[in-house]
Amino acid sequence: MNLIGISINHRTAPINVLESLHLSREEIIEFIPKLKKEFSEGVIISTCNRTEIFCISKNQTIDANIIIQKLLEFKPVSNIRDENFTRYFSCGAIKHIFSVASGIDSLVIGDSQILGQVKEAFELSEDLDFAGTIIKRIFNTALKVGKRAIKETAIGEGAVTVSYAAVQVLEKIFANLEKKSALVIGAGETGELAAIHLKDKGIGKISISNRTLQRAEILANKVNGSVVPFESLKENIHNYDVVISATSSPDYILSKLDIQEAMKRRKGTPLVLMDIAVPRDIDPEVKNIENVFYHDMDSLKVIVDKNISKRKAEIPKVEKIIMEEMIEFFSWYNTLEVVPVIKSLREFFEEIKNDELEKIKNKVTAEDYVKIEDMTRRLIGRLLHNPTVKLRQLAESGINIEEMAAHTFIVKELFSLNKDKSNGNDINQKKEKN
Amino acid sequence: MISTLKGLNFIIPVIYLIVFLIYSYDFFSNKNAFKNSKRIFLFVTLFVHAFYLILRTLEFDHPPITTKFEIFTLLAFSISFSYFILELLTDIRGTGLFIIFFSFLFQVISSIFIEYNYVVPEVLRNRMLGLHVISAILGYSGFTLSAVYGILFLLLYKNLRSSKFGLIFNRLPSLEVLEKLSYYSVVIGFVLLTIAIIIGAIWLPSAFPNFSYLDPKLVGTSLVWIAYLIGIGSKILSKWYGKKVIIFSLIGFAFTIISLIITSTFGNTFHSFY
Repeated sequence: MNLIGISINHRTAPINVLESLHLSREEIIEFIPKLKKEFSEGVIISTCNRTEIFCISKNQTIDANIIIQKLLEFKPVSNIRDENFTRYFSCGAIKHIFSVASGIDSLVIGDSQILGQVKEAFELSEDLDFAGTIIKRIFNTALKVGKRAIKETAIGEGAVTVSYAAVQVLEKIFANLEKKSALVIGAGETGELAAIHLKDKGIGKISISNRTLQRAEILANKVNGSVVPFESLKENIHNYDVVISATSSPDYILSKLDIQEAMKRRKGTPLVLMDIAVPRDIDPEVKNIENVFYHDMDSLKVIVDKNISKRKAEIPKVEKIIMEEMIEFFSWYNTLEVVPVIKSLREFFEEIKNDELEKIKNKVTAEDYVKIEDMTRRLIGRLLHNPTVKLRQLAESGINIEEMAAHTFIVKELFSLNKDKSNGNDINQKKEKN
Repeated sequence: MISTLKGLNFIIPVIYLIVFLIYSYDFFSNKNAFKNSKRIFLFVTLFVHAFYLILRTLEFDHPPITTKFEIFTLLAFSISFSYFILELLTDIRGTGLFIIFFSFLFQVISSIFIEYNYVVPEVLRNRMLGLHVISAILGYSGFTLSAVYGILFLLLYKNLRSSKFGLIFNRLPSLEVLEKLSYYSVVIGFVLLTIAIIIGAIWLPSAFPNFSYLDPKLVGTSLVWIAYLIGIGSKILSKWYGKKVIIFSLIGFAFTIISLIITSTFGNTFHSFY
């Protein structure tokens, strides 16, 4: 198979290099025509953690460096080194594509976003008429692998970010988040992520408090929430069941006394405090107050680490799925090798039939000719049925490629089939099957 | 008939053990291999147990409430039955092992010691007594369930407060759900105990010539009833939440056990039949 690929990702290159080489949708649309000059099919996957290009060569050239060269010509990056790229070929390339789609190659193992990104990349390639029979089959199988990994294993289960772990803890305290209210202190990246997770989980009411009012308002609009002025923060704590704090303040924002006051006003109803700031925003002494559930980065990281370990333990199950799908893919691919042989064999028999029919055409009546023609058609069909089925079976089993090659060789030699037509390595001829 | 009863008497603790093991496997393995089928196992167990209780009632011509060990088998049934209803209503399936264990325990004791030849006092054949005892047992089953959920609540509460995110954290439902399960069990138990008390108050004076309202068992049960009434009233009126509700339920249960032990063991009561 002439499939070649290159990958530059979070394992092989630093983030600044990945950022420099990231290809936007528009850039991919611009770049694909350049690749088309050398390659018949291909797909470009580019996310914040990886840029991957897989192509099928038009001729017998199997050199991934051509892709790297074209990529760097299109998007020159000065600080890049050769070892930042991993090169793939044939079976290895397919295995890598399946690993990427299943999330086991992601920075966050089991990341569910990557499957959507792979699908998007494949669809773009199809839209640009750069996805042929083989690429289509590879990427449809990759999407199947991704879906099976999610459905059949626990690779995507459990919170693997601190903000999501905080929400997971909330679900162990409250039965229904729709009836609860939350206050997010800090409108930075972490605060925003926490607010979005809360909104996704259907929290009843959400408010944002931030030193800079404008930033609080922007985030509040994003999550359909309200704003609590930072100056009146302490007087409002008792109105919320959940407080998530993620500011960059060097000192505590909420003291034990503040929380004690809030608990008095809440008449003892549970209050959850999630301090996901470094350094901490809330005095950890609050954990000694009855019905207060306080968690900081350290305690939430325990959940994250456990879930990451669980996901890692699922990798062998995903690899098993990858192997199953690879076997199925190559069974299909191997049938492409015998298709030209079967076609030539049938053409050979058809030629003999036509020759012989031509010879008797004027010697028999028109009615008899139709009968003889019908009989010869059935005869050829029956004669070729077993060899055709056997050749297909051998190819589909995909176990012994050499045995299959020997069989096709014997068939070709026995019937002196046209070698140009039956060249199994010609990728274009394989496509004719479909 | 006796041989069938003896066979069932042997089979029932075995199937309770199987159901307990199935619920335990699902709880500890996190594989949910029996997520749906374990409920069917429990239903079959309850069906067999109900058949045994009916058969025993028909054979001896009185409800199975005339000996301690008949009471034990009835208690085993009512605990699992109450749990089964609760599981159907709430669809919370992860806590069964903590409840079914008690059914298994009571049934084992009953199966070992239960008798087949004994003299039953005429008063114990009365249908009113049957209703009185069954409603009381179901009431106490409700209190037991409430206490079990209370303990689970405290375990999860402690785990959450000390940031321990292990098996308890992963497998138990939320604190609010455990609190609700505990509270609903108490309310159901309280209603059934009230029915038992009302039936007793109507029927006992006519059935027993030496009846006294100062009987230790009557006084003890009334105190238990008052304790639960105060607790439920406080929860409704003063809007108690969380740990406070659970502590009330556990104190109520402890009070019930102490009351039963003291009045049954040390009290001189007309109310002692066994």
